Amino acid sequence: AVSEFTRMRNSGVEPNHITFVTLLSGCAHFPAQALSLGSALHGYARKLGLDTQNVKVGTAVIDMYSKFGLVGLARLSFDHMGVKNKVTWNTMVDGYMRNGDFNNAVKVFDEIPERDVISWTALVGGFVKNGLFEEGLVWFREMQLSAVEPDYVTMISVLSACANLGTLGISLWLHRFILRREFKDNVRVNNSLIDMYCRCGCVELACQVFVRMAERSLVSWNSIIVGLAVNGHAVDALQYFDLMQNEGFQPDAVTFTGVLTACSHAGLVEKGLKYFKAMKKVHRITPRIEHYGCIVDLYSRAGRLEDALGIIKNMPMKPNEVILGSILAACRNLSDVKLAERLMHYIYKLDPDGDSNHVLLSNIYAAVGSWRGASTVRKKMKALGIQKKPGISSIEIDGVLNEFVAGDRSHIHAEQVYAMLEHLSGELKVSGYVEDDFSELYECG
Amino acid sequence: YVKKLPLNAVNANAASVLNPLYPPLRQQHQPRPTTPQNPSSTNNPNAPKIPETVSVLSGNRLNLHNRILKLIRENDLDEAALYTRHSVYSNCRPTIFTCNSVMAAQLRQSRYSDLLSLHRFITQAGIGANIVTHNLLLTAFMDCRKTDMAMEHYKQLINNAPFNPSPTTYRILIKGLVDNNKIDRAMELKEEMLSKGFSADPIVYSYLMSGQAKGSNPDAVFELYEELKEKLGGSVSDGVIYGSLMKGYFLRGMEQEAMECYEEAVGENSKIKMSAVSFNYILDALSKNGKFNEAVKLFDRMLNEHDPPKRLTVNLGSYNLCKNDLLGEAEELYKDMGEKGVSPDEFTFVLLMDTCFKESRPDDAAAYFKTMVDSKLRPNLGVYDRLVDGLVKVGKVDEAKSFFDLMMGKLRMNDDSYKFMMNALFDIGQHDEVLKIVDRMLREDPADFSDELQEFVREALAKEGRDEELTKLMDDIEREKKEAADREVEAAEKAKASARAAVSSLINSPKLFGNKEPEEQSTIAGEAASIN
Amino acid sequence: QAQVVHDQVPSDPPPTVDLISLCQEGKVKEVIEHMEQGIVADAQCFDMLFELCANSKKLEDAKKVHDYLLRSKCRSDLGLSNKVINMYSKCGSMTDARRVFDHMRDRNMDSWHLMINGYALNGLGDDGLTLYDQMRESGMKPNEETFLYVFEACASADAIDEAFMHFESMKAEYGISPQVEHYLGLLGVLGKCGHLAEAEEYISKLPFEPTEAVWEALMNYARIHGDIDLEDRAEELMVGLDPSKAVANKIPTPPVKKQLAINMLEGRNRVAEFRNPTLFKDDEKLRAAMKEQAYVPDTRYVLHDIDQEAKEQALLYHSERLAIAYGLISTPARTPLRIIKNLRVCGDCHNAIKIMSRIVGRELIVRDNKRFHHFKDGKCSCGDYW
Repeated sequence: AVSEFTRMRNSGVEPNHITFVTLLSGCAHFPAQALSLGSALHGYARKLGLDTQNVKVGTAVIDMYSKFGLVGLARLSFDHMGVKNKVTWNTMVDGYMRNGDFNNAVKVFDEIPERDVISWTALVGGFVKNGLFEEGLVWFREMQLSAVEPDYVTMISVLSACANLGTLGISLWLHRFILRREFKDNVRVNNSLIDMYCRCGCVELACQVFVRMAERSLVSWNSIIVGLAVNGHAVDALQYFDLMQNEGFQPDAVTFTGVLTACSHAGLVEKGLKYFKAMKKVHRITPRIEHYGCIVDLYSRAGRLEDALGIIKNMPMKPNEVILGSILAACRNLSDVKLAERLMHYIYKLDPDGDSNHVLLSNIYAAVGSWRGASTVRKKMKALGIQKKPGISSIEIDGVLNEFVAGDRSHIHAEQVYAMLEHLSGELKVSGYVEDDFSELYECG
Repeated sequence: YVKKLPLNAVNANAASVLNPLYPPLRQQHQPRPTTPQNPSSTNNPNAPKIPETVSVLSGNRLNLHNRILKLIRENDLDEAALYTRHSVYSNCRPTIFTCNSVMAAQLRQSRYSDLLSLHRFITQAGIGANIVTHNLLLTAFMDCRKTDMAMEHYKQLINNAPFNPSPTTYRILIKGLVDNNKIDRAMELKEEMLSKGFSADPIVYSYLMSGQAKGSNPDAVFELYEELKEKLGGSVSDGVIYGSLMKGYFLRGMEQEAMECYEEAVGENSKIKMSAVSFNYILDALSKNGKFNEAVKLFDRMLNEHDPPKRLTVNLGSYNLCKNDLLGEAEELYKDMGEKGVSPDEFTFVLLMDTCFKESRPDDAAAYFKTMVDSKLRPNLGVYDRLVDGLVKVGKVDEAKSFFDLMMGKLRMNDDSYKFMMNALFDIGQHDEVLKIVDRMLREDPADFSDELQEFVREALAKEGRDEELTKLMDDIEREKKEAADREVEAAEKAKASARAAVSSLINSPKLFGNKEPEEQSTIAGEAASIN
Repeated sequence: QAQVVHDQVPSDPPPTVDLISLCQEGKVKEVIEHMEQGIVADAQCFDMLFELCANSKKLEDAKKVHDYLLRSKCRSDLGLSNKVINMYSKCGSMTDARRVFDHMRDRNMDSWHLMINGYALNGLGDDGLTLYDQMRESGMKPNEETFLYVFEACASADAIDEAFMHFESMKAEYGISPQVEHYLGLLGVLGKCGHLAEAEEYISKLPFEPTEAVWEALMNYARIHGDIDLEDRAEELMVGLDPSKAVANKIPTPPVKKQLAINMLEGRNRVAEFRNPTLFKDDEKLRAAMKEQAYVPDTRYVLHDIDQEAKEQALLYHSERLAIAYGLISTPARTPLRIIKNLRVCGDCHNAIKIMSRIVGRELIVRDNKRFHHFKDGKCSCGDYW
């Protein structure tokens, strides 16, 4: 397209707005390579006055800069535009969101003269994509209040937020909401529902959605297989894998991630290896690092450290911190401090900021009673500026997300919560043993 | 000491309506420290919890109560107890009433350990016990012969509980003490009860009188009777004491007076109020003193009056029949039980077994034992001992051995039980069988083969010059075990060593983490799920 | 915005809203809203509102409508004040009821009755009895009805002896001859306090033939305290007097498994001989298995090198446990809980949650940053490898 454009210019034909829109969006797709060409195009359009006069061109410019990560330039162009339409506004919101500038995104959003479903979706989706799931849900609620009917794209964003928060109550509400909409049979919406239920730990409902789908895509199958696998329903996951092939779907790399995860969860070492082999030989899929990860995990769980290391040795890429984490976990189970220390050496290099493996190593030291080792790790973490991330656990009750950190007493029901915990810890201690005083009173009939 | 009530009784009956056994002292009633709604009383965790009142039994908590009652009716006590526990971990805590219902059902089924465990649990959960809870617990302790625990608990109740014991509390305690042959303690407790202002309770006196009769102390029986009579204003209309009174007369050799007493209680136009329990007392007095015909007649009358016959009565009947060498009739009754849908229990079977031995019918005795085990009932060591003893006595060593084999896997036997069987086998020259038993013991329950037992077997074998065989057997088994253990350790060591060797050779290999292409990659399967 | 302002200033005379018919429809919220707009309710309307709030037991509504009463012309109406007392006691706030009572200029018998009964119904019988003393001191003479409430208060305060004294004083001091209701009231004191055997004996000593109402009452008390044998007995007698009260398809009572007769005759020794204390080997195994599952806090997982007890405390309050505890107290028994954690669940919590799942009888689903854990019946889906 670029060379075509050059020829066009050379032949003296004036490019019109359509040419620009096409080219600019072409550039936007390749932010790494097309930066210089993009700004050149912008300059040319400027000369023709197209960027400020023609809405479509102007919008394309904003979109391009946003995608380049140059949201300031995008805003500049936005401000210079003479005419703005809905799409322009929405693109600007999206531009800020894309670059994580929520304040400005919301500001622009507030200024939009007429907010439509796209504007709302840009805002909601923007929060969700940036990991601010609760904000996403809050804005979705605002959207409901302003009576803008969401479309399936909005729903996919919202479903993803619920999936990440694991809020089953809201999830169920959304599902009911969707069932009354015309996009209720949309494959992508249904795939999102499956993913959401799986990530809420509710595989029964995920399976229900799956079974009721009129048509399914490869993603549907992958979602259910991976979902079952990570929830520990290994047998079911493998059953769906067979079913999928019976229905004529070709498994892809993601499918195999699910299958291998299922095997490693269930400790099916031989079966897992068989699938791994079939993946390479029969389906001609080059294993990716997560597949190797599964096999390493498989071996590690079985205590076969030697085989696990063999896999790492023979795989074409460097192990990532997840794989090393698997090995570390195996070290903990085998109380092998030596190996753990050596592994940490690599993990420092790979992932100097990651704290979970430091914690794991420190746990390993503690597990073998080496408090000095444990405190060394802790000191090292401090020196490196790694703080143990505070653990946050959340639970949704009646659509309200309740978050707790260790030792937290800020919850309004803290008193009851702690009373319950105290009772529970008492029960834990007596769980299983009967007071000796009463031993002879033991049931005899 | 006669209790005077602050009232102008119009007639004698009104007094009893007014007061069912309660102390009339106003200060007896201790007002609750604070309102139960006020959680401030929970500041001191050791302070006794004030039980909730009936008014809390509404809404969801009432629904829970009814749900548990249904489970109890369905006799699913495990589920009833479990659901009660699980409800503590929910937004609908069970009330003490629900907990009591489950414990009462457990007590009814003699499931003492379950009861104690639930009680411990609710105490831990901070559910305040009420008088019903305490009475249930005291009954359980007494049923399990834990008189000390029961009395200790009573002391705590008196000292700490925010309410008073009930008349029932004293019935439970005094009956328990009497049943456990602690008559003196029971007499003391009666005095304590009276001194606290509780009125004289015929049932409490009946327990004490029967206890004194059992201890062959007729004087004390009559003293108690006189005391009660005086406290009740001159006469006792409750039939519950008449059985013991009869026994008192019998003990003094005053048969005629005893039978007059019998007439007074159960004769026509009797003014005495007779309950099933009262009948049972009289029945017992009759049958223990040779009045079999009267006993059987009265028993028939009871069967007719108390329809449908409860196992309580039936067992009592068979008990008396067996005691009085009327085995045939007892067996009839046993068959009757089946037809009437009353399932026999350990007690029924053991009665029949013992009586069969007495009647020289060892095969039938063995059959009853077998049926008992087959119906999943669990006779204890004493019963088993009597069975093998009875069989060996009539020379049926092989049969005894077969029961030994059957029960060895089920019962935790003691030295004497083992010795008895071994001795019987030695006597008929079955030394090999003894060695087989030792072999099985060493493999299954090595701790059971005590030094004493070993000495015993060795001595018996030595008489035949075969004591070496025991040594050899023990050595063999020990060696076998050791070898097996060694093999396990060795295999584990080997696996560990080879893994270590392989691991260390691998970890030194530059290829392990070497200069490979780093890969930008998504992390784990979980995230692969969010592919849309 | 302009609209809101307009609403707040009722420049027009308030439209005539038929509050009464709204009350008849039970729409308390709407009536309150109208009153907020300045519409004035009359005595009849207040009367209905108090009744509605008493039934719905919503203290917040109760306080609002009471507030409007105080601002209205009928604030010193004796009947309405009594209604307010009744409303507050039904809503469970005797403090509010008492405040109203204390501020009343005149009180009639109903006021005292409602207060005493209110205390009784809210488990504050002692306060009720104290108030009864005050009532007599104030010169009020108790009537037949008073004693029914006094008995209620006694039942609520576990004051059995006192109940019998009041019963006696009723006849002796006030010359009231007891009616069936009074006997039922005393029976209630025994029954509600859990003195069931005494209640049964009390019935046998009644100066009249027990009516079906007596047996029904006993049956209900037996149900409350879980004495199914007594419940059956009472029910049988009740149905004998009134066959229409028979329950169809009643589940038969399970048989008793107890050796009462033997206890009575031969003492405990014989029973013990048959049943205790021999140990059966399967019991032993069961106990061994249970012991194995016992949970001992594994303090190695706490990062800080602190003393043992403090370590156990720290573990106790890990965030996932707090979330679980909150989940437990907020949801019905046996429903699964879903916890999301941002870090890996620690080994000790993993162990503890496994056992917790068995203790609390729920599925506990924990999603940590690595994987899912479905804890159920003391096991975890991750197979203890995480």
